[in-house]
Amino acid sequence: MEIEIVDYKGANVVVLSGDIDMYSSPILRKQLMLLIDKKVPLLLIDFKAVSYIDSSGIATFVEGLKGMMSYGGRLKLLGIPEGIMEIFNFSKLDRVFEIYGNIDDAFNN
Amino acid sequence: MAEKPAVVVPEDYLRNIEKKVEDLKALMEVSAIISSTLDFNNLMTLVMEKAKDVMDAEACSILLYNRDTKKLEFEVAICKEDSTTDILKKKVTLGMGQGIAGWVAENLKPLIVKDVKADSRFSEEADKQTGFTTRSLIAVPLVGRSGLIGVAEILNPKKKDFFSGYDGEMFQALCRQVAIAIENAQFHKESIERERLRQELEIASALQRSFLPESPIFKKGNVMVSAVNISAAKVGGDIYDFIEPVEGKAGVFIGDVSGKGVSAALYMAKIISDFRYIAHKVDSTAVVLNRLNTILSQAPRGMFLTAIYIIADIITGDLHISVAGHPPFLWITDGEVRVMSVPSGPPLGILPMDYPTVAMSLKGGDRLILLTDGVFEAKNKEGQRIGFENIVGFVKRHKDEEQLVQMVIEHVNDFSKGMERADDITMVEVKWSAI
Repeated sequence: MEIEIVDYKGANVVVLSGDIDMYSSPILRKQLMLLIDKKVPLLLIDFKAVSYIDSSGIATFVEGLKGMMSYGGRLKLLGIPEGIMEIFNFSKLDRVFEIYGNIDDAFNN
Repeated sequence: MAEKPAVVVPEDYLRNIEKKVEDLKALMEVSAIISSTLDFNNLMTLVMEKAKDVMDAEACSILLYNRDTKKLEFEVAICKEDSTTDILKKKVTLGMGQGIAGWVAENLKPLIVKDVKADSRFSEEADKQTGFTTRSLIAVPLVGRSGLIGVAEILNPKKKDFFSGYDGEMFQALCRQVAIAIENAQFHKESIERERLRQELEIASALQRSFLPESPIFKKGNVMVSAVNISAAKVGGDIYDFIEPVEGKAGVFIGDVSGKGVSAALYMAKIISDFRYIAHKVDSTAVVLNRLNTILSQAPRGMFLTAIYIIADIITGDLHISVAGHPPFLWITDGEVRVMSVPSGPPLGILPMDYPTVAMSLKGGDRLILLTDGVFEAKNKEGQRIGFENIVGFVKRHKDEEQLVQMVIEHVNDFSKGMERADDITMVEVKWSAI
């Protein structure tokens, strides 16, 4: 998994690629928590290049979401590939996370 | 006999030879140190102290390349002040291309810098933090079989202004040994770590098994429930349980904890204890999941549980079902296989939620097949996953077989032959035997 944090109109975008699994999610967690500890109001997670996510990866975002909700921040996922979207739909996680097609929709809504 | 003419050897030449012999001795000593210990920290200090003496330098250091952060971090620094390593370890990291060490790491080329002040690549950060003044240095990339390991530096020759080309060659020869030593020590450390992890996972797996029902078969009235659970080496945290919550009812629970390993096994043990406590004397699947959801909302690190809870009337075959983010179950009835994606809520432990209850009724010969995602996420050697649809198709083709669950497990095992099982596999079958 590769993690890149870029700026989009003043918001932090975490651009991910590769597999988010039990091996890579601790690294992702560290990066997310650094941002959440700073109480960033908006965090966008770009999934376009993610090839696989397992339950450890999802738990990392659940922890991030809970952390951001505690201070009124918003965590938004965007560009989720079809195969990964099936996992989100299957497990009703689409009701837990704010999910958008592209960065503009995620930023503006 | 005439005397042989005396050979006059210039003193400089002799001193040079002596120095080279001394250096070779030092290289051999370093080699001996390297093969004498696998204790990484001890080894690095011994080797670098030797290097500092041989090179007659004021200080030397090793920066290791962190593949996760893609940065160089100080591992050892040897100079007059003992506290230097601690200061550098805590306060200084270099990105690829940053400072002289970063340049050497990026270009994988050694560098002799006669005067750092005249070199724009030099970063003053380490000097600022430690109070040391670097004048001249040699920096050498440490490269192993798997690529860049780090950078070794030797700083300020004591008896001259800058290091020579010969010093550079000597330090490179030392660094080749250092690279091998680091790689060997890392491999040794990793193999100890692997063994420790394997033992911990074995305990976790035994712990997980000890919390499952003693018998995988449960019979009450017209309901017959059976389960198969195969734990992955990494322990996936799958759960199943059978209980009699109230007189005349059978409760069937299946779940999957997020994550793997020791934490998943411990969490599974907590959940199954909570479930047994909550479900006792409660005749509502939704109430049980709601309460479990509240308890699990305090879970550490975003951990959650997908689950299905069914309460069956053992006389009438009426079922009440609540689902929390778990994969659909299969209902074999009227000669067909139905994929039951019933109204449900997200996994437990994430958000406050009222889970819905769905009612259905079983007829004679009906079967329900409940499974965890380890069944359909099994991978083959080509990296393809077997997929939910494949499992449904297999069940459709073999729906009348008595040993259907066992056949599905064999089908999954055949598909992923030669691969280590990545996740637990759990299947629970509910059979209704009344006519």
